[in-house]
Amino acid sequence: MAEQFVGKASEFKDGERQIIRIGEAEIGVFRHAGEFYAYSNFCLHQGGPACEGLTIARVEERLRPDKTSMGLFFSEKDMNFVCPWHGYEYDMKTGAHISDPRLKLRKYDVVQKGDEVYVVA
Amino acid sequence: MSSPERAKSGAKPGLKPAPKAAKAKAAPAKAVAKSAPAPARAAKAAGGAGRTAPADKAAFLKAMAKGVAPNSAASRKLVEKKGSPFAPAPAAQAPRVEVLRRIPAPPVVVNTPESDAALQLAAAIERMLETGDMGKLQPHAQQALVASLCKLYAANQEAGERYAILGGRTLVAATDVMVVCGALLKAVDLQVFELGMWQSWSAG
Repeated sequence: MAEQFVGKASEFKDGERQIIRIGEAEIGVFRHAGEFYAYSNFCLHQGGPACEGLTIARVEERLRPDKTSMGLFFSEKDMNFVCPWHGYEYDMKTGAHISDPRLKLRKYDVVQKGDEVYVVA
Repeated sequence: MSSPERAKSGAKPGLKPAPKAAKAKAAPAKAVAKSAPAPARAAKAAGGAGRTAPADKAAFLKAMAKGVAPNSAASRKLVEKKGSPFAPAPAAQAPRVEVLRRIPAPPVVVNTPESDAALQLAAAIERMLETGDMGKLQPHAQQALVASLCKLYAANQEAGERYAILGGRTLVAATDVMVVCGALLKAVDLQVFELGMWQSWSAG
């Protein structure tokens, strides 16, 4: 495992993604809320480009104190990304599938040294 | 003189002087290998004389004894030979990063005073829906709002400002959309068939 230079943080806008290939691995590198995340671009469902679909806030149901529903709302802090093939949805921070957290995309460490961003692969 | 005889004479040079021809042929044998016993040297010289020129063979053997000189043609041949133990080990290639795609960030939202006012109105309508006070926004106000939004969206599309009519963070049910679309078509006396015809003729 070696650190592979991906790009400069200053050229990587918040909300932007890059799909890169390191050797045989295809990796999606995300920048979300200032943090970098990198996951395998192969969906656990049928191998679709998991990191290339929509990025969408998690839908959560808000409840009143008596537990009656106020309806569904988009989360202010949790972001997901969705495989464009069949809609497998993964948590941006962990790479875990939303409905079955046992399923996790392979996560790659991202190291930031000054302005330079490296993926450990 | 037959070959065995020459070998014999070479084996015991001290007993009987060898003829000149034999001496001349035996001379390259000195270069063969000094450690080899004398009879073998003589036999090698005698046997090799029929197939290769003695001078060539001596040169070859000298070269072998010296070893393969680096950067010589012989050394290059050895390195190039498939499966050669002299071939350099393949260098471990460091994986290179290849950027396949860049997916840009969603466009940055710029708020204007008018946009802020519209957002406040939208939030107020959402609160009305939550609390069930749907009569607070009277029908004539709703009609004015829908009409102006229709015109604004269509004008932006005409001007090339293409964007989705519903944002990513909107939770509008499909039923709501069908109800509103049907009502809009009815308001301007259009049939679904006409909408389909228009869409098939244009990029709308």
